[in-house]
Parts: sequence; structure tokens; C-alpha cells
Amino acid sequence: MATDTDTARIEGFGEVSRVRGIIFEYLSLGASVLGIFALAVLLVYVTIDAFDLAGTSPLWLLTYFVTLVVPFLAFCLYSARDREVTRRAVTVAGGGLVAVAAVFTAIETFVGQIPRLNWQLAYLFVVVAPLTGYLVYMGARGRPGAVGFGLVGRLIGGAAIGLAFSVLFLVFDERLWFLAYTLGIVPGLFAYAYGQLRNSSTAVTAALPVSLVGVVLAVFVRDVLRTYPTTTFIYLWTLAIPIAAAGALVVNARGSRTAALAAGGVPLALAAVVGLFGRAIGLGVGGPNALLVIALAGVPVAVYLHRVFDVGEGVTGLGLPVLLVGGALAGALVVETFGIPTPNSWVSGTFLTEAPSRNARDAGLYPAIVGSVIIIAMVAVLSFVLGVATSVFLEEYTADSGVVGALTRLLQINIANLAAVPSVVYGLLGLGLFANLLGFGFGTAVTVSLTLSLLILPITIISAQEAIRSVPDDLRRGSDAMGATRWQTTKNVVLPEAFPGILTGTILALGRAIGETAPLIMVGAATTVFSAPSSLFSKFSAMPMQIYAWANFPQAEFRYGVVAAGVITLLTILVGMNGTAILLRNRAERGS
Amino acid sequence: MTDSTESPDLQRRSGLTRLKEGTYGGFFAACAAITLLTTVAIIVTLLSDAVAFFSQVPITEFLTSTSWSPNPRGGGQTFGIVALVIGTLTVTITAAFVAIPVGTLTAIYLSEYATPNARSILKPLLEILAGIPTVVYGYFALVYITPALKATLFPEMSTFNALSASLMVGIMTIPMVSSISEDAMSAVPDDLRQAGYGLGATKFEVSTGIVVPASISGIASSYILAVSRAIGETMIVVVAMGAQARMPTVGETVLGIPFINPADVLLDSGMTITVAMVQIAGGDLTGGTLPYDAMFALGLTLFVVTLVMNVLSDIIAERYREEY
Repeated sequence: MATDTDTARIEGFGEVSRVRGIIFEYLSLGASVLGIFALAVLLVYVTIDAFDLAGTSPLWLLTYFVTLVVPFLAFCLYSARDREVTRRAVTVAGGGLVAVAAVFTAIETFVGQIPRLNWQLAYLFVVVAPLTGYLVYMGARGRPGAVGFGLVGRLIGGAAIGLAFSVLFLVFDERLWFLAYTLGIVPGLFAYAYGQLRNSSTAVTAALPVSLVGVVLAVFVRDVLRTYPTTTFIYLWTLAIPIAAAGALVVNARGSRTAALAAGGVPLALAAVVGLFGRAIGLGVGGPNALLVIALAGVPVAVYLHRVFDVGEGVTGLGLPVLLVGGALAGALVVETFGIPTPNSWVSGTFLTEAPSRNARDAGLYPAIVGSVIIIAMVAVLSFVLGVATSVFLEEYTADSGVVGALTRLLQINIANLAAVPSVVYGLLGLGLFANLLGFGFGTAVTVSLTLSLLILPITIISAQEAIRSVPDDLRRGSDAMGATRWQTTKNVVLPEAFPGILTGTILALGRAIGETAPLIMVGAATTVFSAPSSLFSKFSAMPMQIYAWANFPQAEFRYGVVAAGVITLLTILVGMNGTAILLRNRAERGS
Repeated sequence: MTDSTESPDLQRRSGLTRLKEGTYGGFFAACAAITLLTTVAIIVTLLSDAVAFFSQVPITEFLTSTSWSPNPRGGGQTFGIVALVIGTLTVTITAAFVAIPVGTLTAIYLSEYATPNARSILKPLLEILAGIPTVVYGYFALVYITPALKATLFPEMSTFNALSASLMVGIMTIPMVSSISEDAMSAVPDDLRQAGYGLGATKFEVSTGIVVPASISGIASSYILAVSRAIGETMIVVVAMGAQARMPTVGETVLGIPFINPADVLLDSGMTITVAMVQIAGGDLTGGTLPYDAMFALGLTLFVVTLVMNVLSDIIAERYREEY
């Protein structure tokens, strides 16, 4: 600022001490990074503990660093295609190595041993991890990087959603779903499509009643019918085929009919073959879950591939999954050949698929993960419907003045206050209302989901309102001028425009719900269950509940191993959800 | 609602369309009513059991007794909230010592000093602090902070203690202080800053002498919200602070002023209102027993305190806001 430079100097006139200002600036900068720094250090330690990196041989780290990390960073640099970025990355990677090693040795000789940290790990966390983040960010700006990350994201996201679906059918009756789908949803969809094609508003209006009748019919037929197709067939018919059809429709709208057939058909055929005959022909995988995973990852990937080849830019980025898998395999091969000891990581396949145990090495998170997935799915549906409906009412249906206006303001103040009620009080509400008064049972999925839905409802409503408010009024007036009714305007104009924003807000709110523990304790959710729940009214646990239970164990193996692994799992899922939300938001912002 | 009765019906809607419109409108109104019902349900649930509790335990005893032992198996039950209030105050005040200075400085930095680029990186990172599940913070406090403090500063610290729990609560509430305060500071018009520079003030003087006083209502309301959040915080405290309702020993200084040694409350375990609720919930939930009702009495206390603080924060932000 101009005042800081000392100009006219008449016996100290206008002389300003800059020291105070500079100290203050750095103090406030320090304050703003203090919390983040503290959290980063804690996260580093919990990562080290969860993967048992402290006991890992440096050779193992070096192997994977060379086979996996370096090629990945090179890919990012290739995509960024910026000499300056490359120069910076090499300087940081090289200079960081020297600096970290020197500083670390100095601390160890003069101050003392830092527990569970050596200079190799320090280098990984202080230099490589931030550098990777930076390069991913820079790489994603180039076409190959964007394409590669998009592909990997669809593979992982599709597989995760496929697994989540298969988990849902542990408690939801798949046969009832099969009947409801066949008798209700399919006829309803046909009526709707027919109405749209032939311009028959009667058929469109009839779609919803037809579906409802079909679903009710399904409930009655459920116990009458004796024979049902196998689970694999049910998944194929009710999930894989509609997803493939949706993918084909998307491609069809953009391109040719053959491409559409291929984009829908190839993943569907692959899923069907692996799902139905995978085990029989000796693939090692098969069955309903494999079918779901392949279908849910395959169709979006196929649609994406079509788009990438259509645009024709950054096709090299499609090699990223190959690079990653190849790197991992090469690393495994080197480790195997030279007999390098592998770390005894607490996060492992068995941890994710086994039940809890008193023995730390056998302990697993599976029932809690299943519980969390089911709870989150129910909370998502409930809070999305309630949140969108309430915000539509508040934004589109109410007036600003008069009695209705006063009522709206009351609702608005009420929602703001609900958002600040401590979560433990919501737990009491769930306990008193849902568990005891309405008799949904202590700690059942129904009680927990209803409680959590109410808990995040204010956050969902507030963010949905913001999204709806950001839709320009011109669009509404335009629709009104065409003679649209209020609902038609809402459905055809406002909601499609606001949808990405609403979705982002809902996912962020769900992130809050997945980590909530106090309300779960209050409604009596189990701290530990040993088998996955089999119905909506059986005892449930959730990931944070299991972490809470394990944190009370006095053994070091639990404190520094199993709980750390649980924390990492929970945080990974959270990061995945929030990352998706942020990507959606960014895409919507770019699109508009 | 549109006043369609006054103008001729140009739209000429069929009965089916009207029915459809009415159904959707009614559905949305019903969903909106659920939020109101939630508040009513919270109050009714809390009150009904709290009233049952206060019919057995006089409210004066609840508010003044210093001993808390709900003792679910019966015999020697005492329900005095004072020890719990002291635990809650310990955590809240210590957390405020972290969150308020750090949060305010962060807000000043973000609003006055940071470049747009730095702001776009720092703000989402700060939001992460509020997004980490609280049980994870509790685990961090118990497993990393406590041993670290024990090894360096306070060797006499017990495994479960108020200090590390409070530090974590403080870190968690930093973004609450910083984001609301920063909004208030950013709302200060640039004219005021320029006027300050025109008078020869340095950037430091403008920040602390003009921007902060001009946005003091927003800053104060952010403090109250953060404190209210710290009062209601449960899992960090449950995991890291232990569950021992203790009255600190009150010493007397030479001047005869009662005095509580901070180390006595901070380095040892304690119990907050929220911990007491969780502890009862971990035992018996079938209802009808005295501890079960006590849980709702505590919940009511918590609800009232946080509600009053939120309303207060709203009032301060609204009434004392400088209009430019």
C-alpha cells in the first residue's frame, strides 16, 4: 500500500513502523493454516498407523514409488504439457528429498527421535503427497489428464455403486423388488414413453397410477408366487438392462444408432456372461455381485469412451487405468522376486469383509460398512425428497407478504434454528418418538435413518433453497408466459436448472450423516454387531459406532491399528462423496 | 399464491390439471410442515419426559446439587447438574481460547490480506475442519494428542482429560468463527478502508481499527454460534474426556477469592452434559426409569441453552449490524 512506503521525510513525519503490520500479517497467516496443519499432522499419523508404514521396509516403499507413483506423476506432467510445471515438479521432488533428509537428520541428532516417522515417510508425506495433489490438479487441466481421471473415476465410482446396490439387497427383499419392477415400473415407463411419443397426455398422466397399482399388486403377489428366478437373473433384468438401455439412449442422442447399441450392449453382454457363467468357465469371479459391478462400471465407461472418441482429444489419457494396474502389478512382481517384506497393513481385504473380533488381526468392519451403506441410502432418499419438496414450497409456492408470508418467515427461522440444534438432542427425539412411541425399535435401520434424515434435513433444505434461488427469474416468467402451471414451471424449468446444486448440497449433507455418532448412541444402535443385518428391523451398527466402540479398547493393537484402519475407511468414503459433490458443482458452474 | 379469482380465467384448466396442481401443492406444503413438526416433536418429547423427571427430582435440586450419579441399578441416585455444567464450561472455555483468536485472525487474513488465489485454496481447506466426523476428532485427541502432551508438557496428565478434548473441539469450531466473521468483514464497504488509507493509516491499522469494529456484530454472533456448537459437542468429549462427574476442589488465595486451579480441571477427566446423556443411553433405554427421564431433562437443558444462544446470535447480528 502507498501508506507503507516512506516518502516525505521531515523529521520523522510520515514515518511508519512496518514491523507491527508485518508481524500481524504473518501471525494471521499462521493462524489460518494452524488448524489445517494440525489436522494434516494427525492425518499423516493415522495413515502411518493404518497402513503400518512405520514398520515397512524402505525397499518396499521405493519399489512402489518407482513403479506406481513416478509413472503416474509423469502422466500428469505429460498431460499438463507445461515446461514450467515440469521444471517446478522436478525441483521440488529433488530439492525436497535433500531438504527433508537434512532437516530430519538434524532434528533426530539435536532434538530427539520422532516417534513412528523416518525420513522416507517424511519425504512421502511432506513432498510427494502435496506434489501429487498439485500435479493432479495441473494434469486435469490438460485433455489427456481429464480423460484419464474421468475414466478412472467412472470405473471406481461405478464399481462402488454396484457394491452398494448389492449391499442394499441384503435387507431389501429382491423378490419384491423384482415383482414391483416388472408389474409396476416397467408398465408405467412404457405408458410414459408411449404418451411422449404419441403426444397423448392421457397416457403420460396414467403412468404414475399404473406404476402404483403395479407396486401394490406386487406386494400381494409376493407371497403367493412360489418360484422366482435366481438373484443373478433378477439383477440382470431389473438393474443391468435398464442401465444399459439408459446408456444406449444417452449415446443415441449424441451419435449413431450402432454406437448406442455397442455402448449399451457390450457392457451388458460382458456383465451377463461373467455374472451367469463366470464361475462355471473358471474366471474366478461371477454371480450377482460381479454382474452388478460390471454393469454399473461398464455402461458409464462405454458412454464415456464413445464421447472421448467422438471428441477425439486426449485419447492417450485412456491409458491411465492400464498404467496404474500395470504399475501395481510390476511392483508386486518386483516385491515377489526379490523377497521384499510387505507391510502388515491394517487396512486390508479381510478388514473390509470380515466381522469384528476380539482379536485385533481378525477384526473387520464389514457389518458396520453394510449398516452405514443401508442407512445412508435410506437417509438419501428421505432427505432428498423432503428437502427438495420443502425448498420448492418455500421458494416457489409461497408469497412474501400477508399471512402466508409470515408463515414462510416462521418456517425459515425454524429451519435455521433446527440446523443449530445439537445432534445429541436429535438422538433424544429419535429415542422418544421413533424408538419408544412409534415402536420402530432401538437402533434399527428405520429408527436410525429417520433420526438422521431429520438431523440433516435443515442443511439439505438450506442448500436446495440456494440452488433454486439461483435459477434466474426470467426462465420462470418465460415458462409462465407459455401458460405453464406452477407445477409445470417447477418441474420443467426450475428443478432441472437447480438439480446439480441440489444434488451437491444433498451429498454434502449426507457426508455429515455418515459420520454422526451421538444420535446413533442415543437411539440405541449397536456398537458392535457380528453379522450383516438381514432386515430393516434388525440391530444395526454403523462405521462411526464401530470406531467409537474400538476406541474404548485399551490394547495398543486396537488403538493404533484397527481404529486407525476404521478411521481411514470412513474418511476415504467421506472424501469420495464430497469429491463427487464438488466435481458436480464445478461441472454445473462450467456448464451454465 | 396468485390471486387468479380477480382476473378472468385465461388458462382454462381442466379439472384434472387442477387436481394435479392441488395435489402437488399440498404435498410440498405437507413436507414443509414436517420441519415445523420436528421442532414441536423435539419440544414435546423433551418436555414430557423432563416433566416426569422433575416430578420426582425437584428442579432446585437438579440445578444446585453438585453430585451426579444416575446409578441405573437404583440406590443412592443423585441428579445435580452443577458438576456437569463445570465440565461443559471447562471444555467450552478452553475451546473458545483456541477457536476465537485463531478464527478471528483467520477471518482477518482471508478478508484483508489473502490474495484471491490463496483465499480459494484456504477456504475449502478450512471447511474440511468442520467436515471431519467428530468421533474421529475424539480418537485423535485420545490416541495422539494426549500421549503427545503427556510426553512433552504435562507428565501428570491422565489418559482421559479435558484438555486434549477441548483443543480438538476448538480446532473443529475454527471454521465456524472464521467463515461467519469473514462474511461480516467482507461486507464492510471498501469506502471505509479507502478513507482509512486516506488518513494515513497502515494496512494493519485499517484491518484492526476499521474493519474489525465495523463488523463487530457479525464477529460477536460468530463467537456465540461457535460456543453454542462447543456446548452441544458430544463425541470428541465422550471419547477423549472420560466420564467422571467431578467437582474441582476450590482453593482460596491470599485475598480470599475462591479459586479453581485450571490444571485440576484440565488435566483430569471430567463429564459434560452431553457425556452424561451418552452414558445413560449406553445403559438402559426402555424408558420409565429415573435415569432415562434424567437424560431428557439434560437434553432439555442443552436444547434451551443452545436455542437461547442461537437466537441471541441472530439478534446481535441483526440489531447491531452497521448499515452502510
